[in-house]
Amino acid sequence: MNKQSRLTEKSVTKNALLRSPLLRAFAALVLVFLIGMVFNADGAFFKWNTHRDMLRHISVFAILACGMTLVIITAGIDLSVGSLLGLTAVLFSLFSIQKAWSPWMSLLACLVVGAAFGAVSGGLVGRFKIQPFIATLAMMVFARGMAKWVSGGQKISTAVLQPDGTYHYVEVPPIFNFLNSKILNENIAVVTLIFLGCILICWIILAKLRWGRYIYAIGGNEEAARLSGIPIIRTKLLTYGLSGLYCAVAGICQAAQELQGDPEAGMTYELTAIAIVVIGGTNLMGGRGGIGLTFIGAMTIGYLEKILSINAVGEASRLMLTGAIIVGAVLFQKTRR
Amino acid sequence: MNKTTIQSYSKIRICLIALSIALLSSVSCKKQDEKSGAEMEKAEAADVSASRWTIGMSQCNLGEPWRVQMNLDVKNEAEKHPELKVVFKDAQNDSLKQRSQIEEFINAGVDLIIVSPKEAAPLTAPVAAAYESGIPVIVLDRRVLGEKYTCFIGADNKKIGKAAGEWIVERLGGKGRVVELKGLMTSTPGQDRHTGFRDGIKGSEIEIIFEADMKWLEPEARKEMESALARFENIDLVYAHNDPGAHGAYLAAKAAGREEDIIFVGIDALPHEGQIYVKQGVLGASFEYPTGGREAIRTALEIFGGKTIEQEIVLSSRVFTKENIDQGGEWLR
Repeated sequence: MNKQSRLTEKSVTKNALLRSPLLRAFAALVLVFLIGMVFNADGAFFKWNTHRDMLRHISVFAILACGMTLVIITAGIDLSVGSLLGLTAVLFSLFSIQKAWSPWMSLLACLVVGAAFGAVSGGLVGRFKIQPFIATLAMMVFARGMAKWVSGGQKISTAVLQPDGTYHYVEVPPIFNFLNSKILNENIAVVTLIFLGCILICWIILAKLRWGRYIYAIGGNEEAARLSGIPIIRTKLLTYGLSGLYCAVAGICQAAQELQGDPEAGMTYELTAIAIVVIGGTNLMGGRGGIGLTFIGAMTIGYLEKILSINAVGEASRLMLTGAIIVGAVLFQKTRR
Repeated sequence: MNKTTIQSYSKIRICLIALSIALLSSVSCKKQDEKSGAEMEKAEAADVSASRWTIGMSQCNLGEPWRVQMNLDVKNEAEKHPELKVVFKDAQNDSLKQRSQIEEFINAGVDLIIVSPKEAAPLTAPVAAAYESGIPVIVLDRRVLGEKYTCFIGADNKKIGKAAGEWIVERLGGKGRVVELKGLMTSTPGQDRHTGFRDGIKGSEIEIIFEADMKWLEPEARKEMESALARFENIDLVYAHNDPGAHGAYLAAKAAGREEDIIFVGIDALPHEGQIYVKQGVLGASFEYPTGGREAIRTALEIFGGKTIEQEIVLSSRVFTKENIDQGGEWLR
């Protein structure tokens, strides 16, 4: 009798520990990190530069994942993030390199376009009750088309086509070099700091603002949220708009890192962004999750890719391993609920 | 009970999603066809008034800059000849769409078809049908099966890869540590540029210290190059299967402050891409993969002129380096 109760007590504390999604997400990250310590590619994994480069590479995906997290908590999904990234990357290059607008104007214009396109998705979902999957699928196709149309199918680079068919070269605007640089003694990439800023903003929204509570409420039970007077349409408009805004931020970072605007940029990035959110432990059914989880998810995916890359693992094995590890991580989070 | 409702709800949702994807794509196809039909009529009307010959050009996918360039080459060359009228169609990476485009050209009675096929097998039959109905067909870049076409024009990736390998051996004095950033290795160009290159460096003391598949993409190349840089202190040269890959590798090296120690070599040498990188000193060399657009129009004119032509034309390509770029590159043997 006594022994039995002690057993239950023990398993209860164990459960409570494991029930914390943050801890479980962290365990998956630690696991991936340990794999990296074992397969360290002749010590490359122990150099800070490897970690700095991983953080730089994952930043663009993680910025997309920030907006995606909020959308997913409302029980929605945003498939248009990759295309919007492409569109804003093209626009940013077009405005700042070829049209020689001031950096502030270019930044502002791109952010407005991103937020506006996101808000249109939000409007379709909120006001016209179109399934988020469908509304953002349509936006994905439309924005990709627009990126190709604006750029004429060509990359927008520092080579400007003259009317007589020759190319004239312009300098890369300083804003590109700034965003593409590393600061603090070359120890961290600027895009990584932007990503951390995005995380912070999302955390403030979710933890401190009324808007954040609305997002959770809508994802948990939309009908109940509506009956308790939560402005559903406005919240969705804002949330998808924020996701679009983050796409623009990511697109600007992408253009700065490539020194050009590629209309094909961001293809399939939406899948990586969703994978980051889900592997962190945010529930696709909505209502549950958080931005801290997404941060850990981004680190997990980032380290996974980096470890496979420094070990020069072949493409076929890389895809199979990534698939297996994603399933493993999600199962791990699911089993002991 | 709650769970089952959720399950059936999600089933409905999946059905809905599948349905709407199908709907979306069919609607867009239909619109495309209607539009191109209208364009065709317009083209035919124009044909009567001004041009003597109408050429139908079916491009498999305009998503790639290289193919955009191919269409541009066709257009620029055709504009020099007022008797020619070219109708362009984009198959958007869909073999069946390309098949129906060729059928549309046959029905419209164009004088010649230029096709850059997506895949060999699905397009062999429609190309043969056009050829048998008496319309000359010029096949560009990728092949169709059999012999029922008028002329194939293309470049040889193996030869270009080999030339790149030989150039690299010479440049490095027969010895060095090289990183190879491969294009998608499930694609023929990727495989050929790889085997040709390995052929070219055979017998030298060139060591491939790191190789990775960057899928033709610049951000991927940058990521892989960062890994190579983290692992190896000494890298002499990077051979990338396309110019964006070489540029991505350059950006990674530049971020690490090591771009001066490494030579970057790419393939494609598009005028607005690789050639510019060479001019800027980013790439040590870029090897041209010619589109054949210009040659296609020239061949078409020969066909219209009643000349007999070879059934296979292999395009020669050029290498661009800082020394020769202002003279328009150097032809490979």
